[in-house]
Amino acid sequence: MRLAELQAMFQAGVLAGAEDGAQILESVKNSRQADRTTLFGVYVNAYHARLAEFLAADFPALRALIGEEAFDALADAYIGAQPSRERNARWYTTRLPDFLRESEAWRDDARAIDLALFERALTDAFDAPDAEALPIEELAAFAPEQWPRLSFAFHPSLILLELETGTIATHEAAMEQQELPPRGEGRGHVALWRADLDSVHCELEADEFMALSLAMEGHAFGDICQMAAFRDHSDASPERLAQMLTGWFQEGLVVGAEAGEDG
Amino acid sequence: MSRPAPLGHGLGLRPIYYDEILSTRPAVDWFEIISENYMTGGGRPTAMLERVRADYPIVMHGVAMSLASTDPLDFDYLRELKTLAERVEPAFVSDHLAWTGVHGVTLHDLLPIPYTEEALAHVAERVMRVQDFLGRRLVVENASTYVAFRESEMSEWAFVNELARRADCLLLLDVNNVFVSSFNHGFDANAFIDAIDPDRVAQFHMAGHTDNGTHRIDTHDQPVCDEVWALYERARRRFGAVSTMIERDDNFPPFEELLAELGHMREIAAHIDAESARSAA
Repeated sequence: MRLAELQAMFQAGVLAGAEDGAQILESVKNSRQADRTTLFGVYVNAYHARLAEFLAADFPALRALIGEEAFDALADAYIGAQPSRERNARWYTTRLPDFLRESEAWRDDARAIDLALFERALTDAFDAPDAEALPIEELAAFAPEQWPRLSFAFHPSLILLELETGTIATHEAAMEQQELPPRGEGRGHVALWRADLDSVHCELEADEFMALSLAMEGHAFGDICQMAAFRDHSDASPERLAQMLTGWFQEGLVVGAEAGEDG
Repeated sequence: MSRPAPLGHGLGLRPIYYDEILSTRPAVDWFEIISENYMTGGGRPTAMLERVRADYPIVMHGVAMSLASTDPLDFDYLRELKTLAERVEPAFVSDHLAWTGVHGVTLHDLLPIPYTEEALAHVAERVMRVQDFLGRRLVVENASTYVAFRESEMSEWAFVNELARRADCLLLLDVNNVFVSSFNHGFDANAFIDAIDPDRVAQFHMAGHTDNGTHRIDTHDQPVCDEVWALYERARRRFGAVSTMIERDDNFPPFEELLAELGHMREIAAHIDAESARSAA
Protein backbone atom coordinates (compact mmCIF):
# COMPACT_ATOMS: atom_id res chain seq x y z
CA MET A 1 0.00 0.00 0.00
CA ARG A 2 1.22 3.50 -0.83
CA LEU A 3 1.96 5.90 2.01
CA ALA A 4 -0.81 8.32 1.00
CA GLU A 5 -3.40 5.56 1.01
CA LEU A 6 -2.21 4.25 4.37
CA GLN A 7 -2.37 7.71 5.91
CA ALA A 8 -5.86 8.37 4.55
CA MET A 9 -7.06 5.06 5.93
CA PHE A 10 -5.39 5.62 9.29
CA GLN A 11 -6.92 9.08 9.61
CA ALA A 12 -10.37 7.84 8.60
CA GLY A 13 -10.15 5.24 11.34
CA VAL A 14 -9.22 7.82 13.97
CA LEU A 15 -11.92 10.27 12.87
CA ALA A 16 -14.55 7.52 12.89
CA GLY A 17 -13.95 7.36 16.62
CA ALA A 18 -13.98 3.58 16.97
CA GLU A 19 -11.06 1.23 16.53
CA ASP A 20 -13.28 -1.80 15.83
CA GLY A 21 -13.64 -2.46 12.16
CA ALA A 22 -11.23 0.24 10.99
CA GLN A 23 -9.91 -0.70 7.57
CA ILE A 24 -6.39 0.31 8.59
CA LEU A 25 -6.30 -2.66 11.01
CA GLU A 26 -5.46 -4.89 8.06
CA SER A 27 -2.08 -3.15 7.92
CA VAL A 28 -1.45 -3.15 11.67
CA LYS A 29 0.40 -5.96 13.43
CA ASN A 30 -0.55 -7.48 16.75
CA SER A 31 2.21 -7.09 19.32
CA ARG A 32 3.34 -9.81 21.70
CA GLN A 33 1.20 -8.35 24.48
CA ALA A 34 -1.66 -6.55 22.75
CA ASP A 35 -3.93 -7.05 19.78
CA ARG A 36 -3.86 -4.53 16.97
CA THR A 37 -7.32 -3.18 17.82
CA THR A 38 -6.11 -2.15 21.28
CA LEU A 39 -2.96 -0.60 19.85
CA PHE A 40 -4.74 1.37 17.15
CA GLY A 41 -7.23 2.37 19.84
CA VAL A 42 -4.46 4.35 21.57
CA TYR A 43 -4.60 6.83 18.67
CA VAL A 44 -8.41 6.85 18.52
CA ASN A 45 -8.72 7.55 22.23
CA ALA A 46 -5.90 10.08 22.31
CA TYR A 47 -7.47 12.07 19.46
CA HIS A 48 -10.79 12.46 21.21
CA ALA A 49 -9.27 12.99 24.66
CA ARG A 50 -6.86 15.64 23.41
CA LEU A 51 -9.50 17.71 21.63
CA ALA A 52 -11.88 17.41 24.60
CA GLU A 53 -9.04 18.61 26.81
CA PHE A 54 -8.52 21.70 24.60
CA LEU A 55 -12.22 22.53 24.94
CA ALA A 56 -12.30 22.01 28.70
CA ALA A 57 -9.19 24.16 29.12
CA ASP A 58 -10.61 27.07 27.09
CA PHE A 59 -14.21 26.96 28.42
CA PRO A 60 -14.04 26.10 32.13
CA ALA A 61 -16.88 28.43 33.12
CA LEU A 62 -19.18 27.10 30.40
CA ARG A 63 -18.43 23.63 31.72
CA ALA A 64 -19.41 24.75 35.24
CA LEU A 65 -22.60 26.38 33.93
CA ILE A 66 -23.96 23.50 31.87
CA GLY A 67 -22.48 20.67 33.94
CA GLU A 68 -19.93 18.02 33.12
CA GLU A 69 -22.31 15.65 31.39
CA ALA A 70 -23.75 18.28 29.05
CA PHE A 71 -20.27 19.67 28.39
CA ASP A 72 -18.98 16.21 27.47
CA ALA A 73 -21.92 15.76 25.10
CA LEU A 74 -21.22 19.19 23.61
CA ALA A 75 -17.52 18.31 23.21
CA ASP A 76 -18.48 15.02 21.51
CA ALA A 77 -20.75 16.87 19.12
CA TYR A 78 -18.15 19.56 18.36
CA ILE A 79 -15.35 17.07 17.83
CA GLY A 80 -17.58 14.92 15.63
CA ALA A 81 -18.65 17.89 13.53
CA GLN A 82 -15.32 19.70 13.41
CA PRO A 83 -12.16 17.77 12.66
CA SER A 84 -9.33 20.19 13.35
CA ARG A 85 -7.91 22.02 10.36
CA GLU A 86 -5.63 24.10 12.53
CA ARG A 87 -1.98 23.21 12.57
CA ASN A 88 -1.70 24.98 15.89
CA ALA A 89 -3.97 23.45 18.56
CA ARG A 90 -4.45 26.94 19.99
CA TRP A 91 -7.11 27.71 17.40
CA TYR A 92 -9.12 24.49 17.50
CA THR A 93 -11.66 25.68 20.04
CA THR A 94 -12.28 29.07 18.45
CA ARG A 95 -15.49 28.07 16.72
CA LEU A 96 -17.25 26.69 19.79
CA PRO A 97 -19.47 29.78 20.40
CA ASP A 98 -20.53 29.73 16.73
CA PHE A 99 -21.14 26.01 16.98
CA LEU A 100 -23.45 26.64 19.95
CA ARG A 101 -25.32 29.31 18.00
CA GLU A 102 -25.78 26.98 15.05
CA SER A 103 -26.71 23.88 17.02
CA GLU A 104 -30.33 22.95 17.54
CA ALA A 105 -29.62 21.83 21.09
CA TRP A 106 -27.94 25.07 22.16
CA ARG A 107 -29.05 27.93 19.93
CA ASP A 108 -31.75 29.12 22.35
CA ASP A 109 -29.44 29.13 25.37
CA ALA A 110 -28.19 32.71 25.25
CA ARG A 111 -26.58 32.39 28.66
CA ALA A 112 -24.35 29.51 27.54
CA ILE A 113 -23.58 31.14 24.19
CA ASP A 114 -22.61 34.46 25.78
CA LEU A 115 -20.48 32.81 28.42
CA ALA A 116 -18.67 30.89 25.65
CA LEU A 117 -18.17 34.15 23.72
CA PHE A 118 -16.72 35.79 26.81
CA GLU A 119 -14.34 32.89 27.48
CA ARG A 120 -13.18 32.80 23.88
CA ALA A 121 -12.51 36.54 24.01
CA LEU A 122 -10.45 36.12 27.18
CA THR A 123 -8.31 33.54 25.38
CA ASP A 124 -8.00 35.67 22.26
CA ALA A 125 -7.01 38.77 24.23
CA PHE A 126 -4.44 36.80 26.22
CA ASP A 127 -2.13 36.06 23.30
CA ALA A 128 -3.18 38.62 20.67
CA PRO A 129 -0.25 40.38 18.97
CA ASP A 130 1.63 43.00 20.99
CA ALA A 131 1.48 46.73 20.28
CA GLU A 132 2.88 49.77 22.08
CA ALA A 133 0.30 52.04 23.67
CA LEU A 134 0.33 55.58 22.29
CA PRO A 135 0.88 58.19 25.03
CA ILE A 136 -1.92 60.77 25.06
CA GLU A 137 0.73 63.50 24.80
CA GLU A 138 1.25 62.43 21.18
CA LEU A 139 -2.05 64.09 20.36
CA ALA A 140 -0.34 67.44 20.88
CA ALA A 141 1.33 66.84 17.52
CA PHE A 142 -2.02 67.39 15.80
CA ALA A 143 -3.35 70.90 15.17
CA PRO A 144 -6.84 71.60 16.59
CA GLU A 145 -8.30 71.79 13.08
CA GLN A 146 -7.11 68.23 12.43
CA TRP A 147 -9.02 66.80 15.38
CA PRO A 148 -12.28 66.08 13.61
CA ARG A 149 -10.30 64.03 11.06
CA LEU A 150 -8.38 62.02 13.65
CA SER A 151 -8.84 58.28 13.56
CA PHE A 152 -7.26 55.77 15.88
CA ALA A 153 -5.73 52.31 15.83
CA PHE A 154 -6.46 50.09 18.81
CA HIS A 155 -4.56 47.39 20.61
CA PRO A 156 -4.96 44.07 18.74
CA SER A 157 -6.23 42.44 21.92
CA LEU A 158 -9.25 44.76 22.25
CA ILE A 159 -12.57 42.93 21.77
CA LEU A 160 -16.06 44.36 22.26
CA LEU A 161 -18.99 42.12 23.10
CA GLU A 162 -22.67 42.52 23.72
CA LEU A 163 -23.60 39.95 26.33
CA GLU A 164 -26.46 38.90 28.50
CA THR A 165 -26.34 40.80 31.80
CA GLY A 166 -24.65 38.70 34.45
CA THR A 167 -22.28 36.89 32.10
CA ILE A 168 -19.20 38.27 33.85
CA ALA A 169 -20.61 37.51 37.31
CA THR A 170 -21.31 33.95 36.16
CA HIS A 171 -17.79 33.65 34.83
CA GLU A 172 -16.24 34.94 38.03
CA ALA A 173 -18.32 32.65 40.23
CA ALA A 174 -17.49 29.65 38.04
CA MET A 175 -13.76 30.37 38.13
CA GLU A 176 -13.84 30.69 41.91
CA GLN A 177 -15.94 27.52 42.15
CA GLN A 178 -18.72 29.45 43.88
CA GLU A 179 -22.43 28.96 43.43
CA LEU A 180 -23.47 30.54 40.13
CA PRO A 181 -25.67 33.65 40.34
CA PRO A 182 -29.21 33.57 38.93
CA ARG A 183 -29.60 34.47 35.29
CA GLY A 184 -29.49 38.22 34.59
CA GLU A 185 -32.08 40.22 32.71
CA GLY A 186 -31.36 42.30 29.62
CA ARG A 187 -28.10 42.76 27.80
CA GLY A 188 -24.98 44.80 28.43
CA HIS A 189 -21.70 45.76 26.78
CA VAL A 190 -18.19 44.63 27.64
CA ALA A 191 -14.70 45.51 26.47
CA LEU A 192 -11.85 42.98 26.90
CA TRP A 193 -8.19 43.53 26.29
CA ARG A 194 -4.79 42.63 27.64
CA ALA A 195 -3.07 44.72 30.27
CA ASP A 196 0.17 43.74 32.01
CA LEU A 197 0.09 40.37 30.21
CA ASP A 198 -3.33 39.39 31.56
CA SER A 199 -6.77 39.61 29.99
CA VAL A 200 -8.89 42.29 31.63
CA HIS A 201 -12.42 43.54 31.01
CA CYS A 202 -14.83 46.29 31.91
CA GLU A 203 -18.48 46.99 31.31
CA LEU A 204 -19.30 49.85 28.93
CA GLU A 205 -22.28 52.16 28.75
CA ALA A 206 -24.22 51.85 25.50
CA ASP A 207 -22.91 55.17 24.13
CA GLU A 208 -19.28 54.26 24.81
CA PHE A 209 -19.76 50.82 23.27
CA MET A 210 -21.14 52.48 20.16
CA ALA A 211 -18.41 55.13 19.99
CA LEU A 212 -15.62 52.60 20.53
CA SER A 213 -17.12 50.25 17.94
CA LEU A 214 -17.18 53.07 15.41
CA ALA A 215 -13.66 54.18 16.32
CA MET A 216 -12.38 50.60 15.93
CA GLU A 217 -13.96 50.51 12.47
CA GLY A 218 -11.73 53.48 11.60
CA HIS A 219 -14.27 56.31 11.72
CA ALA A 220 -12.79 59.72 12.50
CA PHE A 221 -13.47 61.56 15.71
CA GLY A 222 -15.63 64.17 14.05
CA ASP A 223 -17.59 61.60 12.07
CA ILE A 224 -18.44 59.64 15.18
CA CYS A 225 -19.91 62.78 16.76
CA GLN A 226 -22.07 63.22 13.66
CA MET A 227 -23.17 59.62 13.32
CA ALA A 228 -26.80 58.93 14.02
CA ALA A 229 -25.89 55.77 15.90
CA PHE A 230 -23.90 57.81 18.39
CA ARG A 231 -26.28 60.75 18.49
CA ASP A 232 -29.14 58.43 19.43
CA HIS A 233 -27.75 58.52 22.95
CA SER A 234 -29.08 61.42 24.95
CA ASP A 235 -25.78 62.43 26.56
CA ALA A 236 -23.78 62.17 23.32
CA SER A 237 -21.64 65.22 22.69
CA PRO A 238 -18.10 66.03 21.53
CA GLU A 239 -17.20 66.58 25.17
CA ARG A 240 -18.48 63.15 26.15
CA LEU A 241 -16.56 61.60 23.26
CA ALA A 242 -13.39 63.45 24.29
CA GLN A 243 -13.83 62.11 27.81
CA MET A 244 -14.15 58.56 26.46
CA LEU A 245 -11.10 59.03 24.27
CA THR A 246 -9.05 60.10 27.28
CA GLY A 247 -10.15 56.92 29.05
CA TRP A 248 -9.10 54.77 26.07
CA PHE A 249 -5.67 56.36 26.14
CA GLN A 250 -5.38 55.88 29.90
CA GLU A 251 -6.16 52.18 29.55
CA GLY A 252 -3.49 51.82 26.87
CA LEU A 253 -6.04 50.85 24.22
CA VAL A 254 -4.94 53.38 21.60
CA VAL A 255 -1.81 52.40 19.71
CA GLY A 256 -1.93 54.82 16.79
CA ALA A 257 -3.52 58.06 15.59
CA GLU A 258 -3.60 59.73 12.21
CA ALA A 259 -5.37 62.70 10.69
CA GLY A 260 -7.16 61.89 7.45
CA GLU A 261 -7.25 64.19 4.43
CA ASP A 262 -9.60 67.12 4.67
CA GLY A 263 -12.93 66.82 2.89
CA MET B 1 30.49 16.79 9.46
CA SER B 2 30.57 17.97 13.07
CA ARG B 3 27.90 17.78 15.73
CA PRO B 4 26.85 21.02 17.40
CA ALA B 5 28.53 21.80 20.72
CA PRO B 6 26.55 20.34 23.64
CA LEU B 7 24.47 22.78 25.68
CA GLY B 8 24.46 20.65 28.83
CA HIS B 9 21.40 19.58 30.81
CA GLY B 10 18.09 21.33 30.16
CA LEU B 11 14.39 21.34 30.92
CA GLY B 12 11.22 22.15 29.01
CA LEU B 13 10.01 25.73 29.43
CA ARG B 14 6.37 25.34 30.48
CA PRO B 15 3.98 28.15 31.56
CA ILE B 16 3.39 26.67 35.00
CA TYR B 17 7.06 27.25 35.85
CA TYR B 18 7.52 30.76 34.34
CA ASP B 19 7.39 32.62 37.63
CA GLU B 20 9.67 30.20 39.43
CA ILE B 21 12.25 30.22 36.64
CA LEU B 22 12.27 34.01 36.39
CA SER B 23 12.41 34.60 40.13
CA THR B 24 14.99 31.92 41.04
CA ARG B 25 17.08 31.66 37.83
CA PRO B 26 17.67 27.95 38.47
CA ALA B 27 20.86 26.11 37.54
CA VAL B 28 19.46 24.73 34.30
CA ASP B 29 21.84 24.90 31.33
CA TRP B 30 19.16 25.56 28.71
CA PHE B 31 15.43 25.42 28.04
CA GLU B 32 13.46 23.86 25.25
CA ILE B 33 10.20 25.44 24.09
CA ILE B 34 7.29 23.90 22.21
CA SER B 35 7.55 26.15 19.15
CA GLU B 36 3.81 26.29 18.43
CA ASN B 37 3.09 27.72 21.89
CA TYR B 38 4.98 30.86 20.87
CA MET B 39 3.60 31.16 17.34
CA THR B 40 0.29 32.68 18.43
CA GLY B 41 0.93 36.42 18.54
CA GLY B 42 2.10 38.16 21.67
CA GLY B 43 1.22 38.58 25.31
CA ARG B 44 2.49 36.52 28.21
CA PRO B 45 3.99 33.59 26.22
CA THR B 46 6.14 35.91 24.12
CA ALA B 47 7.10 38.15 27.05
CA MET B 48 8.09 35.22 29.26
CA LEU B 49 10.13 33.64 26.48
CA GLU B 50 12.03 36.88 25.92
CA ARG B 51 12.86 37.14 29.60
CA VAL B 52 14.05 33.54 29.84
CA ARG B 53 15.93 33.91 26.56
CA ALA B 54 17.93 36.78 28.07
CA ASP B 55 19.59 34.34 30.49
CA TYR B 56 19.41 30.88 28.93
CA PRO B 57 20.07 29.22 25.57
CA ILE B 58 16.82 28.10 23.94
CA VAL B 59 16.02 25.15 21.69
CA MET B 60 12.86 25.17 19.58
CA HIS B 61 10.98 21.88 19.44
CA GLY B 62 7.90 21.60 17.25
CA VAL B 63 5.04 19.14 17.09
CA ALA B 64 3.21 20.28 13.96
CA MET B 65 5.61 20.18 11.00
CA SER B 66 4.10 16.88 9.88
CA LEU B 67 7.29 15.86 8.11
CA ALA B 68 5.98 12.46 7.07
CA SER B 69 2.57 13.58 5.82
CA THR B 70 1.65 13.11 2.18
CA ASP B 71 -0.08 16.52 2.27
CA PRO B 72 2.00 19.36 0.80
CA LEU B 73 4.39 21.06 3.22
CA ASP B 74 2.65 23.93 4.97
CA PHE B 75 4.74 26.97 4.10
CA ASP B 76 2.53 29.34 6.10
CA TYR B 77 3.45 27.30 9.16
CA LEU B 78 7.11 27.18 8.14
CA ARG B 79 7.17 30.96 7.62
CA GLU B 80 5.83 31.49 11.15
CA LEU B 81 8.37 29.02 12.48
CA LYS B 82 11.18 30.79 10.67
CA THR B 83 10.04 34.16 12.04
CA LEU B 84 10.07 32.72 15.56
CA ALA B 85 13.53 31.24 14.98
CA GLU B 86 14.84 34.59 13.77
CA ARG B 87 13.57 36.17 16.99
CA VAL B 88 14.63 33.43 19.42
CA GLU B 89 17.91 32.44 17.74
CA PRO B 90 17.64 28.90 19.07
CA ALA B 91 20.55 26.49 19.25
CA PHE B 92 18.47 23.93 17.32
CA VAL B 93 15.09 23.60 15.64
CA SER B 94 13.58 20.15 15.88
CA ASP B 95 10.43 18.21 15.05
CA HIS B 96 9.36 14.59 14.73
CA LEU B 97 9.60 11.72 12.33
CA ALA B 98 5.81 11.59 12.18
CA TRP B 99 2.76 13.00 10.45
CA THR B 100 -0.16 14.83 12.04
CA GLY B 101 -2.85 14.51 9.39
CA VAL B 102 -3.74 14.51 5.70
CA HIS B 103 -6.33 16.21 3.46
CA GLY B 104 -5.97 19.42 5.48
CA VAL B 105 -7.03 17.78 8.75
CA THR B 106 -4.84 17.81 11.85
CA LEU B 107 -5.22 15.08 14.44
CA HIS B 108 -2.88 16.89 16.88
CA ASP B 109 -0.88 13.73 17.41
CA LEU B 110 2.43 12.31 16.23
CA LEU B 111 1.29 9.51 13.96
CA PRO B 112 3.32 6.47 12.90
CA ILE B 113 4.64 5.59 9.47
CA PRO B 114 5.56 2.36 7.79
CA TYR B 115 9.34 2.08 7.45
CA THR B 116 9.42 1.70 3.70
CA GLU B 117 11.69 2.92 0.94
CA GLU B 118 8.80 5.05 -0.37
CA ALA B 119 8.34 6.75 3.03
CA LEU B 120 12.08 7.22 3.40
CA ALA B 121 12.43 8.97 0.06
CA HIS B 122 9.36 11.08 0.81
CA VAL B 123 10.47 12.23 4.27
CA ALA B 124 14.09 12.79 3.25
CA GLU B 125 13.00 15.04 0.40
CA ARG B 126 10.74 17.03 2.74
CA VAL B 127 13.43 17.41 5.39
CA MET B 128 15.77 18.78 2.75
CA ARG B 129 13.15 21.28 1.57
CA VAL B 130 12.45 22.38 5.14
CA GLN B 131 16.17 22.82 5.78
CA ASP B 132 16.52 24.89 2.60
CA PHE B 133 13.58 27.05 3.63
CA LEU B 134 14.66 27.55 7.23
CA GLY B 135 18.28 28.02 6.24
CA ARG B 136 19.46 25.64 8.94
CA ARG B 137 19.81 21.95 9.62
CA LEU B 138 16.77 20.34 11.13
CA VAL B 139 16.97 18.02 14.12
CA VAL B 140 14.56 15.09 13.67
CA GLU B 141 13.23 13.08 16.61
CA ASN B 142 12.18 9.44 16.75
CA ALA B 143 8.55 9.38 17.97
CA SER B 144 6.88 6.91 20.32
CA THR B 145 4.64 4.59 18.36
CA TYR B 146 1.87 2.19 19.35
CA VAL B 147 1.30 0.38 16.09
CA ALA B 148 3.68 -1.29 13.65
CA PHE B 149 2.68 -1.76 10.02
CA ARG B 150 2.88 -4.92 7.94
CA GLU B 151 4.17 -2.72 5.10
CA SER B 152 7.45 -1.89 6.93
CA GLU B 153 10.54 -3.05 5.04
CA MET B 154 13.23 -2.07 7.54
CA SER B 155 13.78 -1.37 11.23
CA GLU B 156 13.04 2.05 12.68
CA TRP B 157 16.73 2.61 13.41
CA ALA B 158 17.76 1.72 9.86
CA PHE B 159 15.14 4.18 8.62
CA VAL B 160 16.31 6.93 10.99
CA ASN B 161 19.98 6.50 10.10
CA GLU B 162 19.30 6.50 6.38
CA LEU B 163 17.02 9.53 6.69
CA ALA B 164 19.77 11.48 8.47
CA ARG B 165 22.31 10.44 5.84
CA ARG B 166 20.14 11.28 2.81
CA ALA B 167 18.75 14.56 4.16
CA ASP B 168 21.96 15.49 5.97
CA CYS B 169 19.91 16.35 9.03
CA LEU B 170 20.69 15.88 12.71
CA LEU B 171 18.88 13.57 15.11
CA LEU B 172 17.14 14.09 18.40
CA LEU B 173 17.31 10.73 20.12
CA ASP B 174 14.35 10.48 22.46
CA VAL B 175 15.53 7.80 24.84
CA ASN B 176 12.09 7.35 26.40
CA ASN B 177 10.52 6.98 22.96
CA VAL B 178 13.05 4.26 22.11
CA PHE B 179 12.04 2.45 25.28
CA VAL B 180 8.28 2.92 24.78
CA SER B 181 8.40 1.79 21.14
CA SER B 182 10.68 -1.14 21.97
CA PHE B 183 8.18 -2.35 24.57
CA ASN B 184 5.20 -1.85 22.26
CA HIS B 185 6.81 -3.57 19.27
CA GLY B 186 9.04 -6.08 21.00
CA PHE B 187 12.42 -4.92 19.69
CA ASP B 188 15.63 -4.54 21.66
CA ALA B 189 16.02 -0.92 22.84
CA ASN B 190 19.77 -1.42 23.21
CA ALA B 191 20.02 -2.48 19.58
CA PHE B 192 18.32 0.78 18.57
CA ILE B 193 20.76 2.89 20.61
CA ASP B 194 23.76 0.90 19.38
CA ALA B 195 22.76 1.28 15.73
CA ILE B 196 22.29 5.05 15.56
CA ASP B 197 25.09 6.99 13.86
CA PRO B 198 26.86 8.96 16.64
CA ASP B 199 27.84 11.74 14.25
CA ARG B 200 24.20 12.68 13.76
CA VAL B 201 22.92 12.92 17.33
CA ALA B 202 22.56 16.55 18.45
CA GLN B 203 20.18 16.09 21.34
CA PHE B 204 18.58 13.59 23.75
CA HIS B 205 15.10 13.74 25.21
CA MET B 206 14.24 12.09 28.49
CA ALA B 207 10.70 11.71 29.83
CA GLY B 208 8.31 9.57 31.79
CA HIS B 209 5.55 7.43 30.33
CA THR B 210 2.49 5.43 31.40
CA ASP B 211 2.55 1.66 31.72
CA ASN B 212 -0.78 0.26 30.55
CA GLY B 213 0.30 -3.34 31.02
CA THR B 214 0.03 -4.51 27.44
CA HIS B 215 1.48 -1.31 26.04
CA ARG B 216 3.17 1.87 27.19
CA ILE B 217 2.16 5.41 26.28
CA ASP B 218 4.46 8.42 26.01
CA THR B 219 2.55 10.72 28.37
CA HIS B 220 5.32 12.94 29.81
CA ASP B 221 3.42 12.95 33.09
CA GLN B 222 5.67 10.79 35.25
CA PRO B 223 9.27 10.87 36.45
CA VAL B 224 11.81 9.12 34.24
CA CYS B 225 11.70 5.40 35.10
CA ASP B 226 14.70 3.21 35.97
CA GLU B 227 14.73 1.37 32.64
CA VAL B 228 14.92 4.68 30.76
CA TRP B 229 17.72 5.92 33.02
CA ALA B 230 19.61 2.71 32.21
CA LEU B 231 19.06 3.33 28.52
CA TYR B 232 20.23 6.94 28.93
CA GLU B 233 23.44 5.64 30.51
CA ARG B 234 24.01 3.43 27.49
CA ALA B 235 23.27 6.29 25.10
CA ARG B 236 25.50 8.69 27.03
CA ARG B 237 28.38 6.19 26.81
CA ARG B 238 27.87 5.70 23.10
CA PHE B 239 27.22 9.29 22.02
CA GLY B 240 29.24 11.22 24.62
CA ALA B 241 28.21 14.67 25.82
CA VAL B 242 25.01 15.58 24.00
CA SER B 243 22.50 18.34 24.85
CA THR B 244 19.95 16.52 27.00
CA MET B 245 16.66 17.64 28.51
CA ILE B 246 13.73 16.26 30.48
CA GLU B 247 10.25 16.76 29.07
CA ARG B 248 7.36 17.14 31.50
CA ASP B 249 3.99 18.11 30.05
CA ASP B 250 1.36 17.02 32.55
CA ASN B 251 0.90 16.11 36.21
CA PHE B 252 3.42 18.86 36.92
CA PRO B 253 5.47 18.36 40.10
CA PRO B 254 7.11 21.14 42.14
CA PHE B 255 9.96 22.54 40.06
CA GLU B 256 12.51 21.20 42.59
CA GLU B 257 11.53 17.65 41.59
CA LEU B 258 12.50 18.36 37.99
CA LEU B 259 15.74 19.91 39.20
CA ALA B 260 16.38 16.75 41.23
CA GLU B 261 15.84 14.61 38.11
CA LEU B 262 18.20 16.90 36.24
CA GLY B 263 20.71 16.44 39.06
CA HIS B 264 20.44 12.67 38.67
CA MET B 265 21.12 13.02 34.97
CA ARG B 266 24.18 15.15 35.66
CA GLU B 267 25.50 12.54 38.14
CA ILE B 268 25.20 9.79 35.54
CA ALA B 269 26.99 11.94 32.96
CA ALA B 270 29.73 12.94 35.42
CA HIS B 271 30.23 9.31 36.43
CA ILE B 272 30.63 8.24 32.80
CA ASP B 273 33.02 11.11 32.07
CA ALA B 274 35.11 10.23 35.15
CA GLU B 275 35.26 6.60 34.01
CA SER B 276 36.33 7.64 30.53
CA ALA B 277 39.01 9.92 31.96
CA ARG B 278 40.36 7.09 34.15
CA SER B 279 40.48 4.61 31.28
CA ALA B 280 42.18 7.18 29.05
CA ALA B 281 44.83 7.92 31.71
